[in-house]
Amino acid sequence: MHEIGLEEKIFELVGYMVTSGRNLLDETPLYGPFRLVDAASRLILLLEDEEVISSRLSVIRERIDAGKYSVMTSPGEFRTFLDSLVDALVDHMNPGKGKGGDQLGKRTEISRG
Amino acid sequence: MELWEAINGRRSVRAFNDRPVERDILERLLEAAIWAPSGGNAQTWQFVVVTESKRIRSIKTVSPGLLGDPAAVIAVCQDLAEARAKGGALGETFLAPVDAAMATENLLLAAYAEGLGTCVIASFHRGAVGRLLDLPKGVEPMLLISVGWPAERPPAPPRRKDDIVSFEVYNA
Repeated sequence: MHEIGLEEKIFELVGYMVTSGRNLLDETPLYGPFRLVDAASRLILLLEDEEVISSRLSVIRERIDAGKYSVMTSPGEFRTFLDSLVDALVDHMNPGKGKGGDQLGKRTEISRG
Repeated sequence: MELWEAINGRRSVRAFNDRPVERDILERLLEAAIWAPSGGNAQTWQFVVVTESKRIRSIKTVSPGLLGDPAAVIAVCQDLAEARAKGGALGETFLAPVDAAMATENLLLAAYAEGLGTCVIASFHRGAVGRLLDLPKGVEPMLLISVGWPAERPPAPPRRKDDIVSFEVYNA
């Protein structure tokens, strides 16, 4: 299997976002927020693959991947999941000060491996 | 495997391990698909099985609903010109997608019986997938099915059971 280069990975992510933009014209409106947070997860995963490591971004990705499929089963649960995700973002803006900040991990400066 | 076990146990799987799916297994899945019923016995479906990882990645790029990294993607297509010729406007606009769906369900159950995970995908760009698969004019992709060895076993979503079934007349 051939090695996937960074440019190709970015191209695939852009393709996902562009095609989502087109398809969302015809799909359930709930898929809009789903595609956005899934794109965020894919972006973070891409960075991790490239050894661009940030513990707070990894935590956000894990939270996205754990909750994103609630869109398929419960719009109410999906809404709660998105609210909790935004809360987590705020927590990580001020590490150690926001609620749950310590649980979610301290901010780590992005470093190139 | 008992039929009810497959019906109750099948899930939409969106995480797969790296193990490839052998050609003979894929052929059995297609055999199950073509035994599905079709309106007027038209059998106007076409199936394109993709196992090359590079081509799967290309399809995934224009298929937002294709999640995870499956070993194979099966495009369930319909020859709409043939469907119109055999079934008229009803054949082209209604029976063709319905037939594709019935063939798909057969394939999903057969895959589950093999221990495989699958997911049906409707969120893809039809024109782009058609180009990537080199589909001739008039042959349209209806659904994609991701196929692979499952790396997860999702819980069953709740099933609606109230107010969806009536006997004799609606909502009696």
